[in-house]
Amino acid sequence: MFELNKAKLLIAALMGAFLLFIFFNKSFEKKVDFNTEIKPILNQKCISCHGGVKQSAGLSMMTRSDLLKAGESGYTAIVPGKPQESELFKRITHSDPDERMPFEGAPLSKSEIKLFKNWINQGAKWGEHWAFMPVKNVKIPKVEIAKGMIGLHQSYWSESPIDAFILQKLNAKHLTPNPVADKRSLLRRLSLDLIGMPASEELKQQFLNDTSKEAYSTLVDQLMKSPHFGERWATMWLDLARYADSKGPERDAKRDIWEYRDWLIRSFNEDLPYDQFLIEQIAGDLLPNPSDAQYIATGFHRNTETNDEGGTNNDEARASAVVDRVNTTWEAIMGTTFACTQCHGHPYDPIRHEEYYEFMSYFDNTLDHDTYDDYPRLRTLTAEQKSELKKVLTWLTKNDFENDAKAAELLVRTWQPVYYSLRCDSLKNADIYDTKFLGMRNKSFARLAQVDLDDKNNLIVRYSNRMDGGWWSLHLDSPDGLELARVKAKNTKGRIIEEYPLKGELSGKHDLYFKYENPHLGTSTVAPLQFDWFHFGSQFPGKDLPDFEKIKNLYWDLICANTEHTLIMVENPPGMHRATKVWDRGSWASQKEEVQPDLPEIFKKDGIKIPKSRLGLAEWLVSPQNPLTSRTIVNRIWEQLMGRGIVETLEDLGTQGIPPTHPELLEYLSWKMMYDFEWSLKALIKAIVTSATYQQSSTVSPQALKKDPLNILYSRAARLRLSAEQLRDQALSVSGLLHDTMYGPPVMPYQPPDIWAAPYNSSRWNTSVGNQKYRRAIYTFWKRSAPFPAMITFDAAPRTVCSARRIRTNTPLQALVTLNDSAYVEAAVNLALLQLHEKKAQIQIAKAYEKAIGRSINGEKLAVLEQLFNETLKEYREDEIAVRELLGYWLKDKKVEASPELAALTLVANAILNLDEFITRS
Amino acid sequence: MSIDKLVKEAQMVSLTHQTRRLFLKDLTLGLGGLALGSLMGTACGRKPNAINQDILFDPMNPLSPRIPHYVAKAKSVIYIHLAGAPSQLELFDYKPELAKLDKKTCPPSLLEGKQFAFIRGVPTMLGPQANFKQRGESGAWVSDHLPHFANLADEVSFLKAVYTDQFNHAPAQLMMHTGSARFGRPSMGSWITYGLGSENSDLPGFVVLNSGGVDPDGGKHLWGSGFLPSVYQGVQCRSKGDPVLFLSDPKGINRNLRKASIKAINNINHIAHEEFQDPEILSRIAQYEMAFRMQVSVPDVMSIDKEPEYIHQMYGTKLGETSLANNLLLARKLVEKGVRYVQLYDWGWDSHGTSHNDDLEVSFVNKCRSMDKPVSALLLDLKQRGLLDETLVVWGGEFGRTPMQENRNGVPLKFAGRDHNPDAFTMWMAGGGIKKGYSHGQTDEIGYTGVEGRTSIFDIQATILNQLGFDHEQLTYQFQGRPFRLTDVHGEVIKEIIA
Repeated sequence: MFELNKAKLLIAALMGAFLLFIFFNKSFEKKVDFNTEIKPILNQKCISCHGGVKQSAGLSMMTRSDLLKAGESGYTAIVPGKPQESELFKRITHSDPDERMPFEGAPLSKSEIKLFKNWINQGAKWGEHWAFMPVKNVKIPKVEIAKGMIGLHQSYWSESPIDAFILQKLNAKHLTPNPVADKRSLLRRLSLDLIGMPASEELKQQFLNDTSKEAYSTLVDQLMKSPHFGERWATMWLDLARYADSKGPERDAKRDIWEYRDWLIRSFNEDLPYDQFLIEQIAGDLLPNPSDAQYIATGFHRNTETNDEGGTNNDEARASAVVDRVNTTWEAIMGTTFACTQCHGHPYDPIRHEEYYEFMSYFDNTLDHDTYDDYPRLRTLTAEQKSELKKVLTWLTKNDFENDAKAAELLVRTWQPVYYSLRCDSLKNADIYDTKFLGMRNKSFARLAQVDLDDKNNLIVRYSNRMDGGWWSLHLDSPDGLELARVKAKNTKGRIIEEYPLKGELSGKHDLYFKYENPHLGTSTVAPLQFDWFHFGSQFPGKDLPDFEKIKNLYWDLICANTEHTLIMVENPPGMHRATKVWDRGSWASQKEEVQPDLPEIFKKDGIKIPKSRLGLAEWLVSPQNPLTSRTIVNRIWEQLMGRGIVETLEDLGTQGIPPTHPELLEYLSWKMMYDFEWSLKALIKAIVTSATYQQSSTVSPQALKKDPLNILYSRAARLRLSAEQLRDQALSVSGLLHDTMYGPPVMPYQPPDIWAAPYNSSRWNTSVGNQKYRRAIYTFWKRSAPFPAMITFDAAPRTVCSARRIRTNTPLQALVTLNDSAYVEAAVNLALLQLHEKKAQIQIAKAYEKAIGRSINGEKLAVLEQLFNETLKEYREDEIAVRELLGYWLKDKKVEASPELAALTLVANAILNLDEFITRS
Repeated sequence: MSIDKLVKEAQMVSLTHQTRRLFLKDLTLGLGGLALGSLMGTACGRKPNAINQDILFDPMNPLSPRIPHYVAKAKSVIYIHLAGAPSQLELFDYKPELAKLDKKTCPPSLLEGKQFAFIRGVPTMLGPQANFKQRGESGAWVSDHLPHFANLADEVSFLKAVYTDQFNHAPAQLMMHTGSARFGRPSMGSWITYGLGSENSDLPGFVVLNSGGVDPDGGKHLWGSGFLPSVYQGVQCRSKGDPVLFLSDPKGINRNLRKASIKAINNINHIAHEEFQDPEILSRIAQYEMAFRMQVSVPDVMSIDKEPEYIHQMYGTKLGETSLANNLLLARKLVEKGVRYVQLYDWGWDSHGTSHNDDLEVSFVNKCRSMDKPVSALLLDLKQRGLLDETLVVWGGEFGRTPMQENRNGVPLKFAGRDHNPDAFTMWMAGGGIKKGYSHGQTDEIGYTGVEGRTSIFDIQATILNQLGFDHEQLTYQFQGRPFRLTDVHGEVIKEIIA
């Protein structure tokens, strides 16, 4: 007995020693990874006092060299290899709470302290954050399907490399993936994901009857060919572009930029490669001979707000739009937060305050300003006008007036480059009315500072004058300076464009003075003369050449024509170049030294240099030197299809973002996106949706729920509440109401009265007539100060600023929308009407369910709905008025009688449109 | 499966169902689902933050009541915002010196380096357009424009030298309520709802009531949730039409039918839950139950017709109107029912003097009349119900007004009016742990700039949060890689006015 105990003891001791050995060995050997183990602790617990913003006691922890320097106290934070001599280590382990760091915070845990100790022991190696490193070409892991995966075919799970990465992690957790979802579920899931609404009846039948191995892949291709594909994916991009059909508070007047929305739809449908897609949006105007489409694409950054409120500072408003463009470029395209460096150095990542303005400088030389008319705009020319323009240009080119042809083309297409009258200053008896237009009273003058007059001998003006009599004139350098032009003032009856030749030989930059005098006015405070913009250029050439008159008239008619328009970017010509300065602490009012366009140092590791232009920047964004663009779009597309990004924080892949769940998969797809898919979004989407991971069923076992409650490892397909747009489109589609014409100005479907209530704006929501009110959600008029209520309730982004990610919520207000909103009631009535050809109520109910949910109903659910039908029918049979109230309005143009049966069926349909299965994509 | 077979099965199942007490089951399961949801914690949105682990966005149950950082002095807030910015110089900031300067040319020193919304060139000064008296024991100056409120001067703490850095309505209102003049930040009410959840599960935690004919200049983003989950946005309640959008059942669907349909929806959702085990389904079931209850509780709290006559007299309410008076009475009802944050906007206080519709002689006086009585009634009403101690009432505009007469486009306006002045304005707070009969801060002799006890709009925000039990520096949300907060890097609690 004793012997046995002794033996046991010995064994125990040996085992203990062995474990201790392993433990020590492990703790000494295990290499501490700076990025994943140390940096997160620094960021969370240290850097708010010792970082890019604050450096308490003179200590920063932003870089390794910062930490190796002696601090103000004379001690060195870190002595590599010697934790006990490192002040940092001493302070995190200090027994005196007043001395211990984090200051006034909870002490670091034992394991965290140990990590620091080992890390310092191992030489305190630094590491660059993964997202700022070049994209790597990672190997696809070789994984075996774990044993016990009953019912799964091994080859099926190894078809897509994506699955290998997923499986690797599942195996490690002893989780098995779900089998493939049933065909109907897949059909619905894929349709909602790819085209944002149910597939057409034809396509459904084709897929359900296709028993071949390629059936699914064929469906993917078919859906991608559908024009509705572009509508669904453009919807995603509109949040990033902060697209809206209004300018922004306070008055929030209408803005025409829907052609940009249509450009997005077309680009997604045509699978415009993502690199080209970005280049055109950032700098389409700077491409050689930009097409209309390339101009329209630049609407991306013209979705910034304009403030028409009286009394705004136009320069500040313009600058804040530029700031928005910078922040949006980083957040939407590079998944990185840059905005914080507007005010100070980056608190977590090594980006300096000045670098913000160097980057901003790329965007700071566009011709837009805080103008009422949202200039610059692309004028939408008719086919006839385009051919006339071509005649003009051909004539000019033929006669060797190449430069004039270029200028004429730009002026006809964009009314640029111009000086806006709101830039005038040194006002005498004049003012910038409504802070938008120069208005002149009797005996007034105004200065237009620093006008580039090189090779200029012509002035084109857009203005209005409400009164005959008097004159206005233009003077060089001072109000009494050389008179360049003198115009007899007349009542223009509205805004007109006129041109005046300038006297004298002009060159260089000069202040110009506008003067106005009208004896009829006396001391009146009325300002009849109001200017919009001024264009300085050359007179139309070729006076003595044949056809001059004809061509000149064509040209002039084109300039004066009233056209539709859409907002675009146009760059300042050299003579109008604007200097960008550092804003001290992010304040526009205190501008410091001038800076030149440049990239932050952290992105110039390889000594790369890019052209100092917006186009240069756009090309860098999509170059292999940019580590972020590909990762960001891959992560975003993954999120759209799988419900959560590989990096959950789509807006931040930086050190403060949530670490990736599958870093190698992100790496693999990002590499592939650039080099194999050649930036094809359709190829990327197809790769993801054809993976077994995507095709799994979404049921979950209690074990899987316990092991992976949030489905981080993808052992099942995500169940996702549909987006605001998907919900609306789906309801319209299943009820047969959808009017699926594409493109064009926004529409106004039903919304409750009195939602629009902006001050000084009398425009009203006039519900669109006919089938226009059944258009897809993407075409709904989006007013910034009062977004469409049914959609905003379902977490649609307000689109005032870039929104990289919608966070789904689940609220009673959402239930109220789908239960009570007239749009959903109308859908329920129509879903019920579609079933009337069936005689039996049960069958009508079953069919309505099937139409809405895409699966046949099971007995249990049918019983519930049938009971609802019977209860309801009883009530309606006794209440004829209620029947008419529910149905009367919706049936007024239909040859169907309001009946208790139809009313009951409508209520059932209303319930179906509220089922979790309907609201969720499974 | 053929339809006939289905029908048979359905009949069988329906028999078993009739014996179940389904709504009760819904409820228990619903709550179970909520508990489960809470355990699941942080699915998305933010990472747990060491400082601040008590406030986490729980997507399954985002509005569950939560405990603030420390013991709160106020349970709820009623914030009365006079959109357009009422003139401090005609209400609280009495400046006899300014009267002496009336109609005199503005000295250049007052204009140097200043930027105005509308004043151009050299304006004239404009003396106070109201008579002032000292009121109560505190001796606070209150003008005759506010005869009712004058009796309550001993109830409030005045902040006489508030300032902002925005001089246009929309940006200044955004600044006041979101801490940023630019769009995209969550509103104060959203922060508070995020921090506290909702006490009354049948009502929204953050309610907005508008009067004055239009929305405030900053639009609906003034109560938006910014980057916080949209569940925290303010719910605009309206006196006309549905009190909350989509609240009423459609015509022809009565309460019984609605109850039956929600029951059916939830029963089927339970079946779906058995199939998918997705906890989100349980949450949805709970939301439908709550929606059903809200359909009763909201109209109830939003109707004032059951209030006794003396209350109507006190507030000056008229049934069926959309007025500040009605909204103030509603605000009292809402906080009584546990709503945390009631935000009122009353538009029409922008007294420029372009006509009698926006001048200090007619329009402003009328606006004061429509505000004075009901605001005073609110304070008295809260007091008589013992609610004032736990309700913080905040009153103010988005900036102040100039001591100069406005001369728009360089031409003096024909009616008495003042331009925007971000450098000085008066606000007051009452109840909710605020000192009574106190005045903090002072402006210069003409009420142009604060010279003592200046408080920024961030200080106002910090103080409101403080009264609700929050350290404004700790109420944060992780976004774009950093913890954001309402007051950004600014704000100090105005300790002087705390009781």
